[in-house]
Amino acid sequence: MSEARPVSAAPLVGIVLVSHSAALAKAALALAGEMLHSKPVRIELAAGLDERTFGTDAVQILEAIQAADDGAGVVVLMDLGSAVLSAELALELLDDEAARERVLLCPAPMVEGLVVAAVAAAGGATRNEVCAGAVGALEGKRSQLGVAEIEPLRESGQLVAAEPGPSRESGQSVAAEPGPSLEGTFVVSNEHGLHARPAAKLVQEVRSLDAVVMLRNLSTGAGPVPASSLSRVATLGALRDHEIQVSVTGSHAREALDHVLALAGRAFDEDADSPGTPARGGRMAAGGHEPEADDSDRTEADDSEGTTPPDGPDWGTKPTSARPAAPGIGIGPVWKAGPLAALAVPDATTENAAADWRRVRRAIADVRREIRRSQALAVRDVGEGDAAIFDAHLLLLDDGDVLDDVHSRIDSGQAAAPAWATTIARVEGDFSALSDPYLRARAGDVRAVGDQVLRVLLGIPDVTAAVSGVFVASDLTPAQVAGFDAEKVKAVILAHGTPTSHGAILARGKGIPVVVGAGTSVLDIPDGTLVAVDGASGEVAVAPDDELLERFRARGRELALARITALARSSTPAVTKDGTHVVVGANLGSQEDATLAAKSGADLAGLVRTEFLFLGRSQAPDVDEQEAVYLALAETLGGRRLTLRTLDVGGDKPLDYLPMPLEANPFLGLRGLRLSLANPGLLADQLLACVRTAHATPVSLMFPMVSTVAELAEARRLLADAVVLEGRGTPPGLLVGIMVEVPATALKTEAFARHVDFFSIGTNDLTQYTLAAERGNDAVAEVADPYDPGVLRLIQTVCDGAGTALVAVCGELAADTRATSLLVGLGVRELSMTSSAIPEVKEAIRTTDLSEARHLAAQAVTAVGPEAVKALLTGHS
Amino acid sequence: MTDTSVDVEALDRWIRRFAEEVSKNKDLLTDLDSAIGDADHGSNMDRGMSATVAALDEASSQGRPLTTAGALLKTVGMTVVSSIGGASGPLYGTLFLRMGTSAGDVEALDDAGFSAALTAGLAGVVARGKAELGDKTMCDALAPACAALDASLAGGAGLSEALAVAATSADTGRDATIPMLARKGRASYLGERSIGHQDPGATSVALLVNAAAATLGSRP
Repeated sequence: MSEARPVSAAPLVGIVLVSHSAALAKAALALAGEMLHSKPVRIELAAGLDERTFGTDAVQILEAIQAADDGAGVVVLMDLGSAVLSAELALELLDDEAARERVLLCPAPMVEGLVVAAVAAAGGATRNEVCAGAVGALEGKRSQLGVAEIEPLRESGQLVAAEPGPSRESGQSVAAEPGPSLEGTFVVSNEHGLHARPAAKLVQEVRSLDAVVMLRNLSTGAGPVPASSLSRVATLGALRDHEIQVSVTGSHAREALDHVLALAGRAFDEDADSPGTPARGGRMAAGGHEPEADDSDRTEADDSEGTTPPDGPDWGTKPTSARPAAPGIGIGPVWKAGPLAALAVPDATTENAAADWRRVRRAIADVRREIRRSQALAVRDVGEGDAAIFDAHLLLLDDGDVLDDVHSRIDSGQAAAPAWATTIARVEGDFSALSDPYLRARAGDVRAVGDQVLRVLLGIPDVTAAVSGVFVASDLTPAQVAGFDAEKVKAVILAHGTPTSHGAILARGKGIPVVVGAGTSVLDIPDGTLVAVDGASGEVAVAPDDELLERFRARGRELALARITALARSSTPAVTKDGTHVVVGANLGSQEDATLAAKSGADLAGLVRTEFLFLGRSQAPDVDEQEAVYLALAETLGGRRLTLRTLDVGGDKPLDYLPMPLEANPFLGLRGLRLSLANPGLLADQLLACVRTAHATPVSLMFPMVSTVAELAEARRLLADAVVLEGRGTPPGLLVGIMVEVPATALKTEAFARHVDFFSIGTNDLTQYTLAAERGNDAVAEVADPYDPGVLRLIQTVCDGAGTALVAVCGELAADTRATSLLVGLGVRELSMTSSAIPEVKEAIRTTDLSEARHLAAQAVTAVGPEAVKALLTGHS
Repeated sequence: MTDTSVDVEALDRWIRRFAEEVSKNKDLLTDLDSAIGDADHGSNMDRGMSATVAALDEASSQGRPLTTAGALLKTVGMTVVSSIGGASGPLYGTLFLRMGTSAGDVEALDDAGFSAALTAGLAGVVARGKAELGDKTMCDALAPACAALDASLAGGAGLSEALAVAATSADTGRDATIPMLARKGRASYLGERSIGHQDPGATSVALLVNAAAATLGSRP
């Protein structure tokens, strides 16, 4: 369809249709042709390898683009899969840069998109308008089917400006649904129009109504849009004094219409202190609470940025800057934890104080379980040190002062939720008022845990696990990060926060890019708006135009390639410059970990935390279940060796089915092997499962928290019993070893060496026992430094006394590339760590020279303190 | 090591050998693709590589022999782009085109030059397909092969030996796709059901690298 046109007319946008099938493309063209009434639009086909063969051809697409371009540019519509790849390659093959700039690859559905695009192009629309119209073609179908709100449109600067044409019709189709249909209008009285907060309030209310509510801006003609979608409401561009039409359909249309109009009459409750809302102390928001000062900040931001950021002055063309906190590129629609997730606490009084107090206790118990689960996930992602933040959260739940305060409030008449909220607000306020910046930052922890309990009390589900796209919030709690699905959360933008906050550290462990300190204006970006984030530079682009978006994408591809290359190398063994092989293993705590380990190039599983099988259930797993789980791990790892550590728990991680004494200091109590020997039935089952597994796949068996040779002898006797019971004799590849966490054990290495095949040093516990300082305790955390020469000396003692037994390190120090050459120099020949660190540590081993490393180690063990050791290491790297 | 340079003739042998291997393994590739895709990888690749061999023949018979590595690889790239049809078209096309750009107008590549060209091809495939390692794609065989080639050459191996290591790495990478969950292309529509099947794209890449090991690095 390339009829001649009068030369005088301005050139029209051309269209290229890319399809796998020549027949399909021709039929779509004929369909669109009916709408054109022989108006002269150039539509070129690039479809099929030939008339009969399905396929797409980049060269054919290139020629079609050149033929369709009359100077006004080309919009390319594609069907599936390779059509998109071939079209992208065609652009790359297009040598003329100016011509390339004029081509828009349009994500619209091909058939619907072509009809709308052809009409728009014939009418002289620009290529952005043609593309936006084509994308909007899906809208008609969506509204007709009543699924308008499920998938927010990509709202780049261009697509927001979509032709409202087709969606006008869709409004009528909704109104034609069965059930009464009513209309009404209101005038926007809010000073900044229907911006994010009032819009959020409206959406929230509408979603609770049993009716379909559509809005149209009569002052501008925008809409109709479903009032249940925040991103769509934002596109109404409803400013102060605009008249908005409300159309309501459904069995409760009357109530719904009255409700919306009443809400509008109250200016959508924008004044937070209006009657009916509880005092500030009783009002909490999920991701962080805005003190009064922040509200005024936000108003200022509204003034300067405008109320609908996608249309704002610079949003689309140049990135804004925030502080980088976790590297990586993330692009996706905004998902806010802000206004929508605000927890409104009803100011209720109690009818039954005893029952309300029980509800609080139950809610606390629920949250405690939730936090333990989060902690287990965090240990996997970032190691025990950073996961220790959850210990602080658990402590708060047991805080006598907090509980007493809540209890007395309930006794004096408050209901459970407001009593809890008021107490937490008070404690949070106490922390915020402290002068020490670290303690002041703990106010955030109080808030996080407080919200978790409050959610349970109010029956409001936490939506964290459902977050997809770019998470925008005031601040980030560790619990939120723990719930994130790293595949779905593309990036995190925080209005406040610091790069060293626990939330940021946990996000980094999950590979999610984070920027912090972006300012409160980010909280006003409507949900669904496309944003691009560079977590390494701190740049954020809101509703980027295509050029800016491509810049972020290109950076993302570079990073992906660098990661792929490092990963590709990680599957080959790590050998020092002079040929010493160092085994690099993964620490596992779940089946997913094993998948990640296999991808990351782990030579083996150097530590399987079997606790994951035992925690959070009412009875112990039986032998068959354990064996099945261990075998599944081995299979995922492609048959690589599993180092199974027997159950390692203590009084701090109680199990329902394992009686444990209440101990004043569980870390010095009945834990690890000690606890297993006190419950030989449980250990016997686990050993039998290990023996069975070892007959099928290489297994190393490891006992935790061993402090005397007698304990080891007893454990080995139980192992021998398990071998006899199993009946096939000692499995050929079975190795037996111990964890070295107790200083006395390190000092007795020679005595242990006769009874073991390997030692695995748990540097986290060894450090805390050696220095008598717990890392979870902020007051002494700095003392508990694994670089302390005292700790290093113990590692050296183990390596020197081990004889033919292998020495491994499976604590966090193993994942620290600063320590790699030092550990190798001390004599460590296996390092096991969280999978994400494997490629880098392998690279670090490859650059290590053994004689230099030995020299370094000799200096380190005689250094005066950990700082001197670190200085030594950085000097040598 | 002057006899290990990769000249135009050697590249020509490589491509023809790849075409032969694809033809021999056409049914295997299609069978693999029928398990998790649209059952056309064997026929598409065979059609593309036959067309490529024809294009190479035509160039020499018409007295316009391809005299530089860049020109040969670009011809291969443009031909597969127009004749494969499926997603492999733009992906293999990008691989050869980027190799051609990296090679440039030289008659022969040295060992490092060939390795750099292959890595440039990998970068192109990554950019085009936006795949990550472990997504069950061509990259899972190509990335380890490139890394092994680069590392072996850096370690002092000759091209022949390095390509043998690369071929083994490609095979290992191909086999490692079996337990993977597909995240790109049509196989990703299958979700969990894609687990347990070898990826056809990684399989054809392994053929490509094995063909290089068999034809480059030593005179026939």
